[in-house]
Amino acid sequence: MGHSPDTAVALDGLGKKFRLTHDRNWTLKATMLAGHRTRYEEFWALRDLSLDVEHGQTFGIIGGNGSGKSTLLKVLAGILRPDEGTANVDGRLSALLELGAGFHPELTGRENVFLNGAILGFTARDIRSRFDDIVGFAELDRFIDEPVRNYSSGMYVRLGFSVAIHVEPEVLLVDEVLAVGDLTFQKRCLERFAQLKAEGRTIVVVSHDLDMVGWLCDQTAWIQQGTLRAVGPSAEVIDRFATGVESSGPAEGSIRAARPAFDRLSADDLVKSVGLVDPNGHPIDTVGSGRPVYIRVRYDGQSAGEPVTVALGLYRADGTHVASINSGAATRGVTHGDRSATGSGPGSGLVEVDYVVPALPVQPGTYELSVALHDATMRRVLERHTHLLRFEVTSTGVDPQNGLVALSGTWEAR
Amino acid sequence: MPASPRVPRTRRDLLTGLIGHLQVDLLINLTLRDLRSKYKRSALGWTWSVLNPLVAVVVYSAVFSVFLRIQPSTGDPSGLRSYAVFLLVTLLPWQFHVTSLTEATRSITANGPLITKIWFPRWVLPTSAVLARFLTLLVEMAVLLVLIAVIEGHYAFAWIPVVLLLMVLQLLFTVGLALMVSAANVYFRDVQHFLGVALAPWMFLTPILYPLNMVPDDREILGVGYRTLYQLNPMVSWAKAYRNALYDLRFPSAERWLAIVVATAVVLVVGFRVFRRLEPRMAEEV
Repeated sequence: MGHSPDTAVALDGLGKKFRLTHDRNWTLKATMLAGHRTRYEEFWALRDLSLDVEHGQTFGIIGGNGSGKSTLLKVLAGILRPDEGTANVDGRLSALLELGAGFHPELTGRENVFLNGAILGFTARDIRSRFDDIVGFAELDRFIDEPVRNYSSGMYVRLGFSVAIHVEPEVLLVDEVLAVGDLTFQKRCLERFAQLKAEGRTIVVVSHDLDMVGWLCDQTAWIQQGTLRAVGPSAEVIDRFATGVESSGPAEGSIRAARPAFDRLSADDLVKSVGLVDPNGHPIDTVGSGRPVYIRVRYDGQSAGEPVTVALGLYRADGTHVASINSGAATRGVTHGDRSATGSGPGSGLVEVDYVVPALPVQPGTYELSVALHDATMRRVLERHTHLLRFEVTSTGVDPQNGLVALSGTWEAR
Repeated sequence: MPASPRVPRTRRDLLTGLIGHLQVDLLINLTLRDLRSKYKRSALGWTWSVLNPLVAVVVYSAVFSVFLRIQPSTGDPSGLRSYAVFLLVTLLPWQFHVTSLTEATRSITANGPLITKIWFPRWVLPTSAVLARFLTLLVEMAVLLVLIAVIEGHYAFAWIPVVLLLMVLQLLFTVGLALMVSAANVYFRDVQHFLGVALAPWMFLTPILYPLNMVPDDREILGVGYRTLYQLNPMVSWAKAYRNALYDLRFPSAERWLAIVVATAVVLVVGFRVFRRLEPRMAEEV
């Protein structure tokens, strides 16, 4: 792989293996007795990974648990040495793998700022000239001469973040650190990232938070079992990751449209179909954030033989539970009434239930719908289909939001 | 590709790594961390660092000088004959040796969370542990010089440059050993326990509590004289040289200097090599 001069991070055939020894020889004697070689299993946490990140890019790395994301970041940070291939980082590097790592609890905040700065490669003079900014950003002016053991976890994290962010890295590696701190702090961190991004610095972010990656990163790589599954514009890669679509080769730009997974329903199931329709009754597979949508469930009321309660569960693609609702009394009388109305025929006993959402209050992203049929008392589950329907919620608003829900507010300035 | 913050790999890089980036700021900060945090939240604080040699010299003097009647050698040419001074001029450097190695051994394993989260040159951890103790030794030696001048009328101030040179060489020697044991301890925790066991006999096999001429010269083991064998211990040379300079007020012999310089060079080079070899997987094993 040829590296252009614009490359900030270059991975070439990178491989990192770990040794899994089931009972580790922690003693010299045991090693002597076992001979020179101890028996161990090799496990490749990363294999054959080639990737370029250009200067000034904000690059996301996503993947499931144990996919090797954090290992990759540690290799980039120089903490772990590759066993195969190379990993080159061009420029001054700062890694936010854990905030406040290296703080000594007995030392004051001030002493720890200098200590932490030195560990990150700064001279005392560098730190002195940035000291006020560091303390100001962390909002710790009053407590800076207190031992950090007296700090709250939030204060601790703020100071750690502030030191790491003020070392003015050319390449910043971030591992899930935004999951800590309160919302105000997270917001300030994101603002600071946006500022670093605007200054043309390279940021590599590892996160489970797909929304954040999508919002922050230009390019994203999806890593699975230590190998690269996809790399390209964030939205595409995140979508592929969320839908679990196999892909070999580079991003083609075409996104597999979300489609109802009726093939997972067998003919014997009571639930016959689940789908989204717009207010005009047309089937749709994407919904605009804050737009009306009907969730339509069809089931065989006759075979059920008793009144049923329909329950819906809405999840984000990363598994976050958004909402659960059930029809309660609304569908209780339906079975018998329907049967008498339609009489016999092929479609007889088919019940159609719509859950009408006037304005879908969720952020853009990929969502999944689970459906369950209960008896009228909700005590017994007749049938349950988890993650039956996958659909996209698209962005409609002009002002960007993020988080879980879409607030339908408006701004008024006076 | 411009420098990435990685351990240098080639020989030239290694030299640059050693000389160009001595990590002065990091060393200073970590050393200060050790010193500052050592006696935090203790009522007596730094008094402890004075009490330790004080108690040792009282106990050793009682047992070895009074009970066992060991005679200190007479200072030549100083003419001094004082067991306490005879003992202290070697005991203080020896205690530096012991505490440095003990603390350096754990320096990497104890900083596991730091090592797995941030990259920085790992050798600064054992080195700063040794440096912190070295600063203590400097203070102790200064106090000792003043005390023996006041109490015994024994003026050794003219020998300060020689003692400083000995101390710097001992510092480098100890850093070399510290690099070896701290790195090995990551892979085998036995090292710290072994060290605890080995340091006590090592002290008794070094002429600290008794003069070197008490080691028999006329007996042999496998054709090698006891004293020759005894002097394979590099600490013998330091003990003898410290005693020459501060007790006898005499320049240590050329052989002593040679032994000291060779031991320092060998241990330092081997120490760095061992450390480089064991460094790559430290973050995985710690």
